[in-house]
Amino acid sequence: MTQVLRTVDLNKRFGGIVVSDNINITIDRGEILGLIGPNGAGKTSLFNLISGVLRPDSGSIFLNGQAVDTSPLYKRARMGIARTWQNMLLFRTMTVIENLLIAPREYAGESILRVTFGLGSVRSAERQARERALGILDRMGLAGTAESMVTDLPFGQQKLIGLARTLMNDGPLLLLDEPMAGVEGAAYETMQAVVRQEAALGRAVCVVEHNVSFIRDLCSRAVFMANGKILQDGTVEELIASKALTELYFGV
Amino acid sequence: MEYLATVTILIAIYVILAASYNLVIGYGGLATVAHPIFFAIGAYVSGLLAIHVGMPPILSVALGAVAAMVASVLLAASSLRVSGDYLLIASLGFQLGLLQLIRNLELTGGPGGLSNIPSTITGAARTPAFLAITIGLAAVSVLGIRAIVRGPYGRAITAMRDEELAFTALGRNAMSMKIVIFAIGCGVAGMAGGVYAYYFQYVSPEQFEVLQSAQILTMVVLGGMATAYGPVVGAVLLLAIPQAITFLNLPQNIMAPLQGIIFTVLVLLFLFLRPTGIMGASESKPRARATEAA
Ligand SMILES: Nc1ncnc2c1ncn2[C@@H]1O[C@H](COP(=O)(O)OP(=O)(O)O)[C@@H](O)[C@H]1O
Ligand SMILES: [Mg+2]
Repeated sequence: MTQVLRTVDLNKRFGGIVVSDNINITIDRGEILGLIGPNGAGKTSLFNLISGVLRPDSGSIFLNGQAVDTSPLYKRARMGIARTWQNMLLFRTMTVIENLLIAPREYAGESILRVTFGLGSVRSAERQARERALGILDRMGLAGTAESMVTDLPFGQQKLIGLARTLMNDGPLLLLDEPMAGVEGAAYETMQAVVRQEAALGRAVCVVEHNVSFIRDLCSRAVFMANGKILQDGTVEELIASKALTELYFGV
Repeated sequence: MEYLATVTILIAIYVILAASYNLVIGYGGLATVAHPIFFAIGAYVSGLLAIHVGMPPILSVALGAVAAMVASVLLAASSLRVSGDYLLIASLGFQLGLLQLIRNLELTGGPGGLSNIPSTITGAARTPAFLAITIGLAAVSVLGIRAIVRGPYGRAITAMRDEELAFTALGRNAMSMKIVIFAIGCGVAGMAGGVYAYYFQYVSPEQFEVLQSAQILTMVVLGGMATAYGPVVGAVLLLAIPQAITFLNLPQNIMAPLQGIIFTVLVLLFLFLRPTGIMGASESKPRARATEAA
């Protein structure tokens, strides 16, 4: 198995709050790792550290064996760290397809020089991106929404668009922050199917999720976090069987 | 006739200033009050090159624009690293500080400014030539900026304004895009300054005070922020209305206050009736996309 992500002794605190306390996790190619824990445990903060939104106080992050510590947020995305957001952060004045067109690892329209003097190459890159975007939307059953404003869509579809946008990045690592929160019905099934397909395509996936049945269906391994610490790292069955954790998490 | 031509040339120059300010502040979302000083940099650099080096106008205006652009990159790169709000403060400091310097340097003619900027076009052809040049440059600026904010680059600008964190986390370099947008806007203002210097053959510090940015901003907001033609409408109205009132031929003691009152009432009326600006999306279709509004 190939290790895609490895964090080594990641530490981060905000004043008195420790959000990452010596975090060591690994995710392999094709694996879906569940990351669970109560609110405020530091799950989103860990995603922020891995993707480069936050800098750790100490520790290192390796992507395919290469340290990414000195790379800023946008460069890590280009290296192939793709993530979603708990509150989606869609581009709200734009259509669905435009949200996706912005999101490939390399965006042809980002350079004013290229847009001005290399219009031909920009056009062909746009065509490719559009094809890829429509393909992703189609897989989610959302091809018909391509020209809709994202804010006109129901919540579950917006969540899917958030994932679709992230999938425009074809990198090796996918971080999903509570993809199921507030999602039910058809969108739920779609989300599950797409995440499974992405892992099958060889991506390393990490899912933060409170929905235990979602984790049980998708993940073989899960990590339990609380107060910035990893309390357990093992199979989902072990985790659910652990009395101490179920008490802490489910309050039973 | 000569007078009308001068007003038209001034309007064309302000169309360039308003369009470029709109690019920076309306589309780019970059709060700055330093637009007058970049206008000044273009004017002074071109004027000085004309006086001391006798450089051909096209070259010296281009160098004036480049100087404004370089200064704007330094300002944006150093302050945006801190935060977007810091740019506003830094731009105020830069505007006030550099203008103070211009006021005190012997090279720039001190408070009296630069006079005797040589006229390269003379005689009867001068006014028509400047009319053509300024209107042509205004059209090129407005259409050029419109081209920038449409298409793939404009889509990136819109996304950055909507949700900068998500935009950056998708691999987009928001910092460098902001610097580029700022540099283009300020460079265009510098170009306007160069043409201004050649036409009026005289520049002085009080033509570039910080309050000018309020005037240009009013043009942008009145015409419609983040719309391609809003700045044109705003600049024309704001400069033409006071001139039109002069044609009423009223006694001076009535004219001056009347001009102020009519002007203020009109601006307030427009802003009240159309908060998004004259060219902005109307209330009935609030979903009009930013890219379409262009
Ligand atoms: N930028 C920040 N500044 C200060 N405190 C923060 C910041 N981000 C997160 N926190 C705090 O860190 C803790 C962990 O938050 P988070 O990582 O969002 O938890 P989770 O995603 O597991 O619910 C919370 O107490 C939160 O208030
Ligand atoms: Mg969270």
